[in-house]
Amino acid sequence: MRFIFKTDYEQDIKLLQHGGHWWSYGLLFAVLAAAPYLVGSYLQSQLVFVFIYAIVGVALMILVGFTGQGSIGHAAFLAIGAYTAAYLQARGYPFEVYFPAAGILTGIVGAIVGIPALRLHGIYLLIATISFAFIVEEVLARWESVTHGNEGMRVRAIEFFGQTVSRDSNSFYFLCLGILVLVIIGTLNLMRSPTGRAFIAIRDSETAAKSMGVDIGRYKVRSFAISAAITGLAGTLYAHKMSFISPEMFTLLLSIEFIMVIIIGGAFGLHGAILGAIFIVMVDPLITMLKDDVPGMIAAFSRGFGVGEDAARAIQDRLYAIFSAPGLKGAIYGLIIILFVLFEPLGLYGRWLKIKLYFQLFPLYKRATFRRQKTYVKSERNR
Amino acid sequence: MSLHMLKTGLLGAALAVAAGPALAQTKVTNQGISDKEIVIGTHQDLSGPIKAWGVPVLNGMKLAVEEINAKGGIHGRLLKLIAEDSAYEPRKAVLATQKMVERDKIFAMIGPMGSPTVIAAQDILFEAGILQLFPLTAAEFTYKFDPAKPQERLKFNNLLPYVESTRAAVKFMIEHKKIQKPCVMYQDDEYGKNVFDGFTQQTQAMNLKPTSVTTFKRGASDFSAQAAKMKADGCDLVVLGAVIREPIGVMAEAKKIGFEPTWLGASPVCVIEIPALGKGVVEGLYSACGFEIPYRDTAKGKVKEWAEAYFKAYNTEPNSQAVIGHNTITTFAHYVEKAGKDLTGAKLLAALESGDVFQDIFNSPPTKFSATNHLASTITQVSVIENGRWKEVKAGLSF
Repeated sequence: MRFIFKTDYEQDIKLLQHGGHWWSYGLLFAVLAAAPYLVGSYLQSQLVFVFIYAIVGVALMILVGFTGQGSIGHAAFLAIGAYTAAYLQARGYPFEVYFPAAGILTGIVGAIVGIPALRLHGIYLLIATISFAFIVEEVLARWESVTHGNEGMRVRAIEFFGQTVSRDSNSFYFLCLGILVLVIIGTLNLMRSPTGRAFIAIRDSETAAKSMGVDIGRYKVRSFAISAAITGLAGTLYAHKMSFISPEMFTLLLSIEFIMVIIIGGAFGLHGAILGAIFIVMVDPLITMLKDDVPGMIAAFSRGFGVGEDAARAIQDRLYAIFSAPGLKGAIYGLIIILFVLFEPLGLYGRWLKIKLYFQLFPLYKRATFRRQKTYVKSERNR
Repeated sequence: MSLHMLKTGLLGAALAVAAGPALAQTKVTNQGISDKEIVIGTHQDLSGPIKAWGVPVLNGMKLAVEEINAKGGIHGRLLKLIAEDSAYEPRKAVLATQKMVERDKIFAMIGPMGSPTVIAAQDILFEAGILQLFPLTAAEFTYKFDPAKPQERLKFNNLLPYVESTRAAVKFMIEHKKIQKPCVMYQDDEYGKNVFDGFTQQTQAMNLKPTSVTTFKRGASDFSAQAAKMKADGCDLVVLGAVIREPIGVMAEAKKIGFEPTWLGASPVCVIEIPALGKGVVEGLYSACGFEIPYRDTAKGKVKEWAEAYFKAYNTEPNSQAVIGHNTITTFAHYVEKAGKDLTGAKLLAALESGDVFQDIFNSPPTKFSATNHLASTITQVSVIENGRWKEVKAGLSF
C-alpha cells in the first residue's frame, strides 16, 4: 500500500500524484507512440476511432459526470463540428482555421442549448437534448445550400501547414492522439480550477452550491459550452476519418453510443471515458476476430484429442456457421452492456479501482468495502 | 476511307490517348488469388435498419458461391467469401473493410451494402488496388469516375440507378395512362432525393408540372396528412420513393379516404415483401424493376432450380434481394472466367472493361462495361401487382 506523505498544499493539485504515475503513463504513452509503426492499418484505425470517441467521452464526462447534467444530444454537436469543418474546407480554408472554428461554433451552439437547460432537470433535460438532436438532424437534411442535404458531403484529406494528412496515415493517428492528450490535460486543469470545482458542487447539490455562492445558471451554461466545443473538435476529426458525412450518420443511436461510452467506462473520472471508448470501439472487432479464429482453434484442439480430420473440419464449419449468424454480434454486445449495468454500475474504471484496492489491501480486503450505502454527496464516494 | 470511318478512328485514337496513361497507372492487387482459391469480401447490414435487405442479399451470394464451388470453381479456383456485418454504420464498414483487406487479404469487394457505408470505405479499397464490384447502392459515386484518378477505375456497378430507372418508368406510365397531374411522395434521404430528381427531370422533359410533392421520414407509419394533401391536389399518378412498409401504409390510408390514383414505386419497391404484407391493399401498384421477380412455383428452367435450391438452403421464399446477391457473384465469376487461367487483378480489370456481355438467368438487361462506362445498364422494366404477385407490364424501357 502506497501512502503519500504530503508536505505541501501544491501536492493536492498535482496532475501526477506520485512516481508510479510517471512510470505507468510514460509507458502507456511510449506504447501509443510506437503503435502505428508496429500494427497494421486495421488496428491503427480502431485506435483512431478510440481517440475520437474518447474525446467525445471526455466532453460528455465534463457535462454528465462532473456537472451532473444529462445529454442524449451529443451526436448533434459532433455533427455541427463535422459540418463546419466540411463547409469551411470546401471553401478553401485550411485545417488550422476550421478546426478551432468548429470548436468555437459548436461551443456557442452548446451555450445556447444550455440556457433552456437551466430550468430542466433529470429526464426533462434528456428530452430537451434529444429534441435538440432531432432539430439539428432536420436542419442538416433541409439546409441544402450549406449541407447538401441528404446527399451528404465529401471531406478531403487534411491540409495541415501545407502537408496533406490522409486519414489512414501515421500523421493522422498522431494528430488525433495529440488532440486527445491536449483535451485530457485541459480538462484536468479545468477540473482543479474554481470552474471545475463549481461544476462538481452543482452535481453534488445545487442547493448547497447556490448557498456557497456558485452562480448555477452561469456554470451550467459554461459546462454545456465547454462540452459542446470539445465534441465539435472531435467532429472535425470524425469527418476526416469518415471522408464523407451525411445527416443519417448523426442519429440518436450515435448519441446513445456516446452515453454508453461513459456509463460503461464509469461516469466519474476521465479514465472512465477512455476505457469506455476502448470498449465501445474495440468490442465489435474483437468479436469478429473470435468468430474468425475460435472455430479453427477448437478444431485444432479436438484434433489433439484424437478426433478425425473430417470430424474436426465439420466441427469448424459448424462453429463458424453459428458464430457468423446475423445479429449474434449485436446480441453479445447487448448482453455485455446489460451485465455491466446490473453488476458494475461504476463501470470499467470502478471495477479496476476495486481490483487495485483488493491487491493493495491483500489480505485485509473487506468484502463490504464497496457495499452501497446512503451518501449525501457523490464526490465523496469515488475519490 | 469514308468520313465516318475517319471519325471513328480519330475518336478511338483520342480515347486511347485519354485512357492510355490511366490504364498504365491503375494499380490492381493480386492478393487473395492462389492456385486453389480466390478470396472475396463483402460487408452487409445484418443487424441494422436495412437488414431486410442485407440478410437475403448475403444468402443469395452464399448460394451462388456454393453453386460455383460445387462445379469445381473458376478455372479450378474455389471462391471463398468473407462476410462482415456493418449494421449500416459507416464506422463499422470502414473497420470491416480494413480488416478484410489486411487480415483476410481479399482480392475483390463484392456487393457491399448501403450508400454511407460504401462511400466511407471505398477509398481504402482503391488505395489497396482492390476492385469494388456491384455495391448495393445505385448512387453515382459507385460507377462515375474521374479519368484523372486512375484508382477510381476500380469501381463497377450493375444495379439500376434510381434517377434513370425512375425517369424511364415515369415516362412509360405518363404515356401509358395518359397522366395529367403527376405527384411524388418520397423518403427523406439520399435515395428518396434521387427518386424525386428522376421524377422532376422527367416531368419537366414532358412539359408537365408536378402537382404535389410530399415527403416522409424513414420508418414513418402515419400517412394521413400526405394522402389527404395528394387527394386535395387531385393527383392521378403518385410516384413513391419508398421502401417496403410505406407504400402499403399510404395506399391503405388512400383507400380509406377514397383516393385511388395510379401508384408507381421506384425500383426498391419491386420486392415480394410488398404484396406479401400488403395483401389486397397494394393490388394495382406499379413499380420500376430491374428484372422479373421469380416465383418458386411458376418459375421455369434455371430460375426454378435456383429458387428451389434457395428455398431448401434457407427455408424462405427467394426474393429480389436474393436475386441481386446471386447476380453480384455470378457476374464476378463470369468476368473472372473471361480473365483466363492465370488470373491477375489487371487481367480482371481488362476483362470487365472489354465490353464482353454477361446475361444472368433472371432475364435482366444484359450487363456490359467499357473503359469509360462502369455502369452495367439503365434499361428498366415496369411490373404491376396482380392477384398478390408481381407481373411484368413492359420491359426494355428507357427515357
